Amino acid sequence: MTRTAYKWLLFIRTAIRGIVASPVTSGISVVTIGVTLVLVGAFALLLRNMEELLDQFGDDLRVTVYLESDVSDETLRGLEQLVREIPGVEDVDVVSPDEALERFRASVGSGSALLDGLDVNPLPASLEISLSASRRSAEGMEAVANAIEGLAGVESLGSGRDWVEGYLRAVALVRGVAVGLGIILAFATLLIVANTIRLGVFARRDELEILSLVGASRSFVQTPFLLEGVLLGAGGGAIALGLLYALFRLVLPGFEFGLELLVGSAPRFFSSVEALIVVAGGAGLGLFGSAAALGGGWRP
Amino acid sequence: MRGGGGAVNTPRGDGAIRMFHVSKSYLAGSFALRDVSIELAKGEFVFLTGPSGAGKTSLLKMIFGAERPSEGQIVVLGRNIARLGESAVPPLRRRIGVVFQDFKLLPRRTVEENVALALQVTGTPPRETRARVFAILKQLGLQHRRYHHPLSLSGGEQQRVAIARALVNEPEILLADEPTGNLDPELTLEIMDLIASAALRGTTVVVATHELEIVRRYGKRAVRLEGGKIVEDTQASIPRT
Repeated sequence: MTRTAYKWLLFIRTAIRGIVASPVTSGISVVTIGVTLVLVGAFALLLRNMEELLDQFGDDLRVTVYLESDVSDETLRGLEQLVREIPGVEDVDVVSPDEALERFRASVGSGSALLDGLDVNPLPASLEISLSASRRSAEGMEAVANAIEGLAGVESLGSGRDWVEGYLRAVALVRGVAVGLGIILAFATLLIVANTIRLGVFARRDELEILSLVGASRSFVQTPFLLEGVLLGAGGGAIALGLLYALFRLVLPGFEFGLELLVGSAPRFFSSVEALIVVAGGAGLGLFGSAAALGGGWRP
Repeated sequence: MRGGGGAVNTPRGDGAIRMFHVSKSYLAGSFALRDVSIELAKGEFVFLTGPSGAGKTSLLKMIFGAERPSEGQIVVLGRNIARLGESAVPPLRRRIGVVFQDFKLLPRRTVEENVALALQVTGTPPRETRARVFAILKQLGLQHRRYHHPLSLSGGEQQRVAIARALVNEPEILLADEPTGNLDPELTLEIMDLIASAALRGTTVVVATHELEIVRRYGKRAVRLEGGKIVEDTQASIPRT
């Protein structure tokens, strides 16, 4: 092992010793970081699932062009060709009136017998337009719809644009609250971690003086304190992750079934990479808190 | 005369410690040291004497870079203290051992851990650290106390631990600030003998004391400070060992 490796082992041991030496202040820091990350993490989890929901809907987002009832085959083919050339259109599916009726019959299930009494098929032919991935948004749908409106043979347009717009507003609101809350809580947490480290520096001032006398460099003295902050933060992050998972399992059954029915999949917890980011976020808060405490502080 | 209070006594050699017209002022108009010029050769054993407030501690602090001179230059082991950057202070201090009157030991660490600190800051591997700490503790008769905590030791033993910490990385300079101030006469001689033995191994030793009996007993060079000035330098010779 190199001298650097020995030094790092010593730093880690000193950092752990520092945490153990002040269990109350260290505990307060860990809990504060944990609570911060639970709150911010809960919003992140909500946001993650909302965005995933949007992605799942996005695959099914289509613009439907209902055609005039007397549109000729020639006009229909011309219209299809024109629509295919619109930027953002991935595919166009021509649905004949008979096909539309069959689909409707299948969707109403046992009530389809009522449709047997119809003399004339009231459903018009339509074009079902799939959007390219980049256009699966309210703006994308609007752009495609605007390009189609007014074309010869077009009766009306249907899309989930209003729904998407409302949903995106809700996502933006959740994101805004999460970011705002995150900034405020992160600042408060930084102050508490900084205070913990400052108390540690004060409690160990005799040791620091002696270290300085025997030739300890600035980094030799400061690194254990920075590591202490990282360990406190990572501990807080791990606690937050555990609490979030427990809350997720507790709350999930209440809306799991409804969501599964609606979108075909249940909400999901953080992936292992995202879970690591939560813990790393805690470690980062701890590191910045320590750095703030040491900034311009101890000198040999 | 190799030391003195003015330009006449400006040092010229390549000693371990050289001071050129050094003054130190903490408050405007009030000097802790005033125009001090002195040279201490490698391996020399020197006493700094004088009453409390004479400037002995200020002079020692400047040698290990804890203070900078307000005026003049200090060259220690070839490094100019007045121009030393912050990052250059720790490497210099690893070449200097310091012993204080109040021992400055960590009460929650064992004797072994206290002594090991001086080696840990250099990244010395644990096995080598343990071996060197054991060797110096054995040399100072403390090997059986290595797992004890300082507060369970006598004053003399605590000071021996402090000396062990100062000597464990074989410093080129050993500074002792009133090292026997808290000890009874019998222990005083024991501690002074240990400090003096460092000079025999080629270490430059500077002991600040107001106990003239000790100075007389060892018959080494004695530099007397009063009011921040050198008022007497008994020997200007190369060390007698």
